Amino acid sequence: MFSPAVLGQVFVDGIGLSAIYILIALGFTLLFGIMRVVNFAHGAFAMLGGYALYYLYGNLGLPYLVAAPAAALIVATVALVLERIVYRFFYQRMFQSMIGLLGLDMAIMYTAVIAWNAEERSVPPSTDALLHLGDLVFPAQKLIIAGIAAVALLLFYLFTHYSRYGLAMRAAAQDVDIAEAQGVNSTALYRLAFFIAIFMAALAGGFYAQTYALSPFVGEPQLMIAFIVVILGGMGSIPGVALGGLLLGFANSFLGTFYGSATSIFVSFGAVILLLIFRPWGLLGAKEA
Amino acid sequence: MIKSSTLESAPPPAFATQPASPATVVRPARRWLAHPVTVAVVLVLLVALPLVAHDKFVLSVAVTTFITAIAAASLHLIVRTGHVSLGHAAFMGIGAYVSAIATTDFGLAFPVAVCLAFLAPAALALIVGPILLRLTGKYFVLVTLLFGEIVRTVFVNWTDVTGGSNGISGVPAPSAYFSNPVPFYYLALGFAVVIIGIIGRLLASEVGRMIDSLREGEALARCSGVPVLSTKVVIFMLGCGIVGIAGALQAHFVHYIDPTSFALEQSLNLVVINVIGGMYTLIGPIVGTLFVVLLPEFLRGYVELQHVVFGIVLILVMAFFSGGIADAGVLFKRLGLGRGGQQ
Repeated sequence: MFSPAVLGQVFVDGIGLSAIYILIALGFTLLFGIMRVVNFAHGAFAMLGGYALYYLYGNLGLPYLVAAPAAALIVATVALVLERIVYRFFYQRMFQSMIGLLGLDMAIMYTAVIAWNAEERSVPPSTDALLHLGDLVFPAQKLIIAGIAAVALLLFYLFTHYSRYGLAMRAAAQDVDIAEAQGVNSTALYRLAFFIAIFMAALAGGFYAQTYALSPFVGEPQLMIAFIVVILGGMGSIPGVALGGLLLGFANSFLGTFYGSATSIFVSFGAVILLLIFRPWGLLGAKEA
Repeated sequence: MIKSSTLESAPPPAFATQPASPATVVRPARRWLAHPVTVAVVLVLLVALPLVAHDKFVLSVAVTTFITAIAAASLHLIVRTGHVSLGHAAFMGIGAYVSAIATTDFGLAFPVAVCLAFLAPAALALIVGPILLRLTGKYFVLVTLLFGEIVRTVFVNWTDVTGGSNGISGVPAPSAYFSNPVPFYYLALGFAVVIIGIIGRLLASEVGRMIDSLREGEALARCSGVPVLSTKVVIFMLGCGIVGIAGALQAHFVHYIDPTSFALEQSLNLVVINVIGGMYTLIGPIVGTLFVVLLPEFLRGYVELQHVVFGIVLILVMAFFSGGIADAGVLFKRLGLGRGGQQ
């Protein structure tokens, strides 16, 4: 059961899952860290990303490396409208944001049901090729997903650490008022952070739709993933997301392969509840007053 | 203590010594909604309803409203302590399953089954409550969300006992007499009135003040001698037990239960009811229930649209007036007075 070949497979699966999980959760933690918004509609945007990829890649047949970013770009641009008419009322209002954005989640999800009906669709894989690596056989698609995710994460890291806007973003995450006093335009910054967060969620949603299936309801499991990863790592902590995503990705891959998905849910949810009880600020998060 | 109404949670008039200037007096809609005369009229109308409407459909919508009102009011009890639970339907499900299993597999009588449906979720709440209720705000919301999912996974996977995804069918009516729609209507009405009355009385009592004080200022409440955690745990137990009764009523009303009826969606529904109606008065969940249960009947055939409408209402309520429909009077006054009262 635990032969090297199977373990290798589990490892590769773990990397694929972790890449998707980290992308979803990164946007979630960004919105929380900077705007203090608990984005319950995060999964809905990921779901929209799945549909955008379905049309651009599945129907129009654009090349995959163009379609994936373009799909996420479209969703993020459309989402900017929602930022103006919904999100800005919830900035820095954590409790109201949870319930209000739950409403947004419902509204988007059921609008999707009206627009596309509830039946499941599948997004074609980016390539059918199989890679052989010694005893291991795995679809090249996983590698492409992990690769694009890695590029997105690298760009995000470079942006936040080596650009003026990234610096402003990190400053605002620490203290918005003081950042504003130093001349940071928080309105524009919020919009930028929102755009980046939704872009990553939509990108991940496309990958998720390719890995599993696509329906208006796939947002819910993705929202759960974002929650768990972010709680594991610590809300608002960016390195925490990387750690949480890797932990959950590998745990799901390992437990799902050997003990079934129900066990995997029990263990991951149970672990998160235990963590919340003993260390609510997460593994790498900062303790709040 | 002299109270004008058991449903009113505002301080008694004796304490309202500060005369407010007429310009700033805002009379919330809930004052007349909770007036004893209004309550009495509504009760008489509800008792008289089956005499007028023999239609099975009307009665079953009414019973659903009562059951939902019980569940929403029990969540209200927990919300009043400052904790919004996103896993309340899980406790409702436990009540429903316990009652269904007790009557089908063990052949127990309905009254016994209802008592068990109250005790089982309350016992679970007693176990998890002291741990969960230490968490505040967002962490409590997230943990209850995950907890609800865990309970649902148990319902789906513990096939021997719960029947898995197929659920349990053939749950008997409370008795042969109550299998008719009209007697069951009165049974559900009785449960709703008694339970909501008890909750209203509780919130209007000394305990109600304790609950409000520990929500508004936990540290201050502790300094004033309110046992914060134990009060929260007892209220949490009570809320979870009551929603178990609602679950049992639903099981014996529909004669069938399955895990999907107690999933996240139902928990969300209960939160929506509380938020839309108004979170800081017991009238809130009742008004919210009417809105959430009756609106779909008018939007029949447009189930998706109705969810979209709820979503938008939820956004509007949270963004602009957290008092909900029960406080609509305040909203209109505020709009009339201009932007003075913005929070």
